[in-house]
Amino acid sequence: MQDKNEQNMKSESTRIGRKKISRRRMLQGIGAAVGTTAVGLNAPYIHAKQKEIRFLNGEPSVQSVRAMRFAAAQYEKETGIKVQMDTVPAGKAFEKVQTSIKGGRPYDIATLIFVGDVLLLAGENKLVPLNDIIKKYDWGPNILFPMDGNNYWYPYDYNLCWINYRMDLYKKAGLKEPQTLDELKANMSALMGDGEDKTKQGIVHPIASSGATNYTSFGYLWANGVSLLDDNWNVTLDDSENLSRAVEYLDNFQSMVPMMPPGLAKAGWGILVGGIQNGQLSHCPGTGRLIDVINVKNPELASNLGIFPFPSPNGENVALNHGYDGWVVLDTAMSDESLRFLEWFSDEHLINFLHTSPVHYQPTRMDIYEDARWLSHPDIEKFSHITSWQKRFLTDENVIIKSIDTEGPYPDMRAGKIFRSYALPEMLQNKVLKGMPADECVKIAADKMREVIAS
Amino acid sequence: MYGDRPLYILFLLGCLLTGLLILYPAYYAVQLSFFDADSFISTPTWVGLENYKLVLADQEFWAALMRGVIFAGTAISLQIILGIGFALVLDSAIPGKAILRGITVLPYLLPTVIVALIFQWMLDDHIGILTVLLENLGVEEAAAWANSPFWSMVLVIFVSVWLWTPFVTVCFLAGLQSVPEEMYEAAKVDGANAWLRFWHITLPQLRSVLIVVLLLRAIWMFNKFDIVWLLTGGGPMQGTEHLPILAYRKAFDAFEVGVGAAISTISFLILSVAILVFFWKFPIDEKR
Repeated sequence: MQDKNEQNMKSESTRIGRKKISRRRMLQGIGAAVGTTAVGLNAPYIHAKQKEIRFLNGEPSVQSVRAMRFAAAQYEKETGIKVQMDTVPAGKAFEKVQTSIKGGRPYDIATLIFVGDVLLLAGENKLVPLNDIIKKYDWGPNILFPMDGNNYWYPYDYNLCWINYRMDLYKKAGLKEPQTLDELKANMSALMGDGEDKTKQGIVHPIASSGATNYTSFGYLWANGVSLLDDNWNVTLDDSENLSRAVEYLDNFQSMVPMMPPGLAKAGWGILVGGIQNGQLSHCPGTGRLIDVINVKNPELASNLGIFPFPSPNGENVALNHGYDGWVVLDTAMSDESLRFLEWFSDEHLINFLHTSPVHYQPTRMDIYEDARWLSHPDIEKFSHITSWQKRFLTDENVIIKSIDTEGPYPDMRAGKIFRSYALPEMLQNKVLKGMPADECVKIAADKMREVIAS
Repeated sequence: MYGDRPLYILFLLGCLLTGLLILYPAYYAVQLSFFDADSFISTPTWVGLENYKLVLADQEFWAALMRGVIFAGTAISLQIILGIGFALVLDSAIPGKAILRGITVLPYLLPTVIVALIFQWMLDDHIGILTVLLENLGVEEAAAWANSPFWSMVLVIFVSVWLWTPFVTVCFLAGLQSVPEEMYEAAKVDGANAWLRFWHITLPQLRSVLIVVLLLRAIWMFNKFDIVWLLTGGGPMQGTEHLPILAYRKAFDAFEVGVGAAISTISFLILSVAILVFFWKFPIDEKR
């Protein structure tokens, strides 16, 4: 019996050095260590010593990340405050912000690319106003999206969608930049065919229910003077003033479909860049990103790309689809420090950041267009035929800058809901894929918009 | 004295993990379904069963449910038929059997993202190898498959069958090893041909395997999100949008988190009822 007890004791203990430690003691020790560590990590006095700004960057290109990290390192050197830079694709930033808030460790500064997301956060009192920073500068049109008299976001670039075209092919064919939609169609048709200076198709406009479609396929609609909403948030797409113009837009779009590649319902960002890069297309909608990307792989082709805004049928108006990116400062313990960082970054490093994609990151501050530091980038000079257009877009009253998500009398979730309902892409699908009459397509889209606004 | 304690500790740890990673998120989703919220950080507003009423009255929901049944039903049927067929072939005396068995499993090992990308490239409307092949065979609509809800559904089913038939094959192949050879020999002596041996011996012997495989595949295919999302995004014109994608779109895109949660909950209930009916009609335990 005694032997058996001794055996049991031996099996339940272990030897560390010369001491015997029981299993119970060991488990208690491990539990105590884990508990102490957990408490220690959450000890306020420890956190008080760690001054850190958490920044969620939404520009994942190597150059942009480098610029942001460089600025972060410079700020830490000057102030002793660490700026932790996390990077996600811009489209995933809002999910990451939500997760960080729900997880109890919200980011201090975050990139947002959709005004609806800014409105959501501001509406939940998650953001701090940036009024003092904003009022320091002179801004371009339709970019600040104030809410209740406050500015909650710092826009760092316009991403206006225009039409890119092959200047070299135009020159060889003796073509001029189109002023009307019919001229554009004629130019596309003239450049289509077999042969060295010909392309397989004229242009591509996606029709999938996606952000790419919302962004690149409705410039003609805006140029034709169509409005989706009035000042009282009533849907006006199918009213007496807009219906005929929307129908005309759809009919014109349909007439361009034979000049587009098949598979429009799945076309996305990739075909826009790839199509013009591989010589398949003579035109394609897009932003400066297309030019910056092609410039890396094929600088000669990039030099031969020109731009013009979306023309209207009669040439009276031109339009661009609106796009934008910006930063918000969240209401956290580091808000004040984050505001200081953002102001410092805006004064000292913004231009360096904009230079990482010089054509795509079109400045939102009008002072930057005259700033010698911005003008010093070789690509700004190389693409001056484009950057000069960019400034003109912001100052010419005849240029319409519109997008689905910025429609309405003021920034509001209703426009964001219409954007995400993909009512307009479905309108295109009904026309192009189902062959429905244009007025019926418009009415269905308008009814869907009303349903979405009412929900 | 401490004999069962480690067992209880491990059991409790398992319960804790299950609770944290499965039960709590499920509870949270069900809870969300009774609220109206624009996002996951919005202050939710209690609406009771309103989200459920909205969903059940919405044609989109019923259309998505039907598409899900078509997708899952067709894909599972093909997987089972092909899986059994491949298993029978791999169980027979064929040269290179060991290598063939290894190759058969390959599609199942590939990440879904890679498979989706490969098929998108192969079906690219200009340079896709399958597109060019089909066009040369006279199928001119091949280039525009992405514009057709019907062909997009066909593609999604095809890729699902290609990806997951190996799982079915492996399960049945393993099951075939347990079928006594004497039964086949006796049947041959009695004059039964291959089909009769398959129908009267193989299938009954594999009944329990078939039930489990059918159950698992049904659950997975009904809830399958990744391959559909990656290939078609639910389009074109919502032609491949089934309940998981509809729920995702409502919750993450359309600022209707509560509605998305309601769709997920209804989908879960539908599947639960279906499984209960399945077990009632096809009990695994043959003695009942």
